[in-house]
Amino acid sequence: MSGEQDLVVATVREILARHEPVKLTAERRWDAQLWAELAEAGLTGVGLPEEAGGSGGELADAVAVVATLAAGAGAVPVAEQLLVAGPAVLAAGLALPPVDEPLTVSVTGALRVEDGRISGTATDVPWAGVARHLVAVADGPDGEVLALVDVGDLEASDAVDLAGQPRGSYVLDGVPAQVGPVGELRARFALARAVQLSAAAQTVLAWTVQYAGERVQFGRPLAKFQGIQVQLAQMAGEVTAVSALVDAAVQRLDRGEPLELAAAAGKVRAGAAVDVVARLAHQVHGAIGFTLEHRLHHLTTRMWSWRDDAGSETTWARVLGAAVAGDDPWPALVGIV
Amino acid sequence: MPSTLTLAPAPPSEAAEAVRLEVRQFLAEELAAGSFTTHVDTWLSGVDPAFSRKLGERGWLGMTWPKEYGGHERTAMERYAVTEELLAAGAPVAAHWIADRQSGPNLLRYGTETQRKEILPRIAAGECFFVIGMSEPDSGSDLASIRTKAVRNADGDWVVDGAKVWTSNAHHSHYAIVLVRTAPADPSARHAGMSQLLVDLSLPGITINPIRILDGGHHFNEVVFDSVVVPGDMLLGEEGAGWHQVTAELAFERSGPERILSTFPLLAAFARRASTDAELATLGRLSARLLALRQLSIRIAAALDRGELPDIPAALVKDVGTTFEADVAEEIRRVVDVPASLDSPDPLGRALAEAQLHQPGYTLRGGTNEILRGIVARGLGLR
Repeated sequence: MSGEQDLVVATVREILARHEPVKLTAERRWDAQLWAELAEAGLTGVGLPEEAGGSGGELADAVAVVATLAAGAGAVPVAEQLLVAGPAVLAAGLALPPVDEPLTVSVTGALRVEDGRISGTATDVPWAGVARHLVAVADGPDGEVLALVDVGDLEASDAVDLAGQPRGSYVLDGVPAQVGPVGELRARFALARAVQLSAAAQTVLAWTVQYAGERVQFGRPLAKFQGIQVQLAQMAGEVTAVSALVDAAVQRLDRGEPLELAAAAGKVRAGAAVDVVARLAHQVHGAIGFTLEHRLHHLTTRMWSWRDDAGSETTWARVLGAAVAGDDPWPALVGIV
Repeated sequence: MPSTLTLAPAPPSEAAEAVRLEVRQFLAEELAAGSFTTHVDTWLSGVDPAFSRKLGERGWLGMTWPKEYGGHERTAMERYAVTEELLAAGAPVAAHWIADRQSGPNLLRYGTETQRKEILPRIAAGECFFVIGMSEPDSGSDLASIRTKAVRNADGDWVVDGAKVWTSNAHHSHYAIVLVRTAPADPSARHAGMSQLLVDLSLPGITINPIRILDGGHHFNEVVFDSVVVPGDMLLGEEGAGWHQVTAELAFERSGPERILSTFPLLAAFARRASTDAELATLGRLSARLLALRQLSIRIAAALDRGELPDIPAALVKDVGTTFEADVAEEIRRVVDVPASLDSPDPLGRALAEAQLHQPGYTLRGGTNEILRGIVARGLGLR
C-alpha cells in the first residue's frame, strides 16, 4: 500500500472509530451521520476526478476506502458510489451527481427508456430509499443502456438484506433519465462486492483468531486445541486465496483491461469463501457470536448479503464457464487475470 | 491479514508471456507428432527421459540458475510460465521434475563447487534425475523421527544404513538427496543431528524395490541402504543442518503450479464439452478457484525469487491447492454421467479414472494437509 492509501485508510478508520456499527432497523436504515462525516472529509469522492466533482486520487485509494468501510461494517453506500455507479456514470459520458449525495446502482428489474424518460421496476437496489440518484441498466430503442435517474423524491419498497441494509425496488413511471452506454456496470458491481467480501473476510478471520486466543475452556485458550487450529487454518486458506484473486482483478481494472471475466472470477471465488469463513467463524465464536450483543454478526450478515448482490456465484460462474469452455481452455483461463 | 500470510503481488512479466507462447507452440507440435499423450498427474507418472532432454535442449530446465552451472539466468516468472504450460498440457515431466524443482536449487544453495559443477549442468540438460530421500517406513509426517543413519568410517566416508520410501521414480533416477541422522537422536533437540547426503543410486548396497499405487503404476519405491559407502565429500551443506535445509527445500516443493494443476488435464477434457448451464457453472466455479490459487502460487514464486522464504504461504497454497485438485474430479462427476475407467473410449472417462485413482496422493505428498494446516496455524500465531 502506498503512503497515500495509508493516509486515506487512517482517515477512514478515524471516522469509523466514532461510529460503532449499529444493528440496522426500520427506523434506521443507514448511518447518515457516518456518511455526512465521510462526505465532509471528501471521502465520498475518492478516485473520482476532481474536474468531474470528485476528490481525485487513484483507483487503489478508492478500493482502500471501500475495503476499510467494509471491514468496519459502515452502513453507507460508498462502494456503490466510488467503484460502481460513479465511475460508470463518467465512463458513459454523463455528469457525475454531487458526490456528497448517495448514488446507487441497479442491474436487475425491467426498465425501458424512451425519449429521456424511464419506466418499469428496478429491483434489488442496494440503499433504495437512501440514495439520491440511481444508475440502472435499462432497455433503450437500440439495446441496453445505462440510465441515471434522480430517485430522491421517489418511494422505495422497504425490503432489506440479511444485514438489514436496504435492498428494495423502485417503480418508475416516465421519470426523467439521462442515458449513455452501459459499459462494464455489471462487472464493476460484482468486483465492488468482491472487494467488500475480501475485506470483511480478512477481518472476520482476525476477530476469530483473537477470540480463540482469549476464550479459555478446559483450562486453555481455544487456539491451543488442534481442532480449532485446523478450522482457523482453513479460514486463512480461503481468505488468502480470495484476497490474491480480488487484488489481481482490481489491478486489471486499474490497467484498463477488459474486466468482465476477472470480476466474475473474483465474485465467484469470494462468494464461495463466505460459507467456509462465516460458518467456521461462528462455530469458533460459539453461542455469543450468534447474538446481537457480539460484533461478529455485523460482518457475517453482510457477507451473506453481499454474495447475493450483483449476480450470484452461479450466475457469474456460468459467464466464466462459457468463456473457458471450448477446444482451448487453458489459454482462455490464464488470459482472465 | 497476518503479515506471515501477506504476499506482495508479482510484477507482470513480458518475458514470461513470450516464453509461455514458445512452450505452447512446442507442445502443440509434440502432441501433433505423437511424441506424448496427455495424462493427469504427469509430474508423478509421466517419465520420459527423451522428452526431458528436449526441454533441456530448449533451455527450459535449470532456467533460473547461473550460466556457469548450465543454467539460463532467467526469472522465476519465466520458469513459472514454462512449468505451468507443461503441466496444463499433461506433458511427461516426471523424470526431471524433482531435480529441476528442488534438488538443483538445493545444490545451488548448499552444494560444494565440485558438486555444483559436476551435477547442475547435467540436470539442466535433462540428463540427470533426482529423488527425494525424506520419508521412511516408520517416519511419515513425523519426519524428525527418521532412523536412517550415516556414520563416518576411518577413510572419512559415510556408511549409510536404513530405508527411504515413497521415493518417486528412484528406478529412473541417478541421485537421491537423503536425509540421515549423523548424530544420535536427542529427545530434547529433535531437529538436531540430521544431515543431507548426495547419494549416487548406483552405489553398491542400494536396493530399489517397487511399491505400486492404486492404478497399478510403478512410481513409488522403497530404497534400502545396506552399509552403503558414500564418499565423504558428498555431504550436502552442513553436518547437523539437515533439518534447516529440508525446511528451506520444502518451500520450493510446496508452492509450485504442480500443487494446483495435477488434475488440470481432466478439467480441460471437461471444458471441451461443457455446454449445459450446470456444466458451465461447475466449470466456472472450478476456474475461479484455480485462478485464485494461481495468483497465490505466482506471488510465492516471486517471493522466492526475491530471496524470501515464504514457508507459511507455501504450506497454505499446498493445502488449498491440493484440496482443489481432488475436488476437480468430484465436482465434474456431479454434472456428467460418464463412468470413470482407464479403459473408457471417452477421454473424459479416462481422465476421471486417472484423477480418481491418483486422488489420495494429492493431499499427502510433500506434507499432509494436516501438517500443512499446523504450519498455517503457527503463521496465525496459534502455536
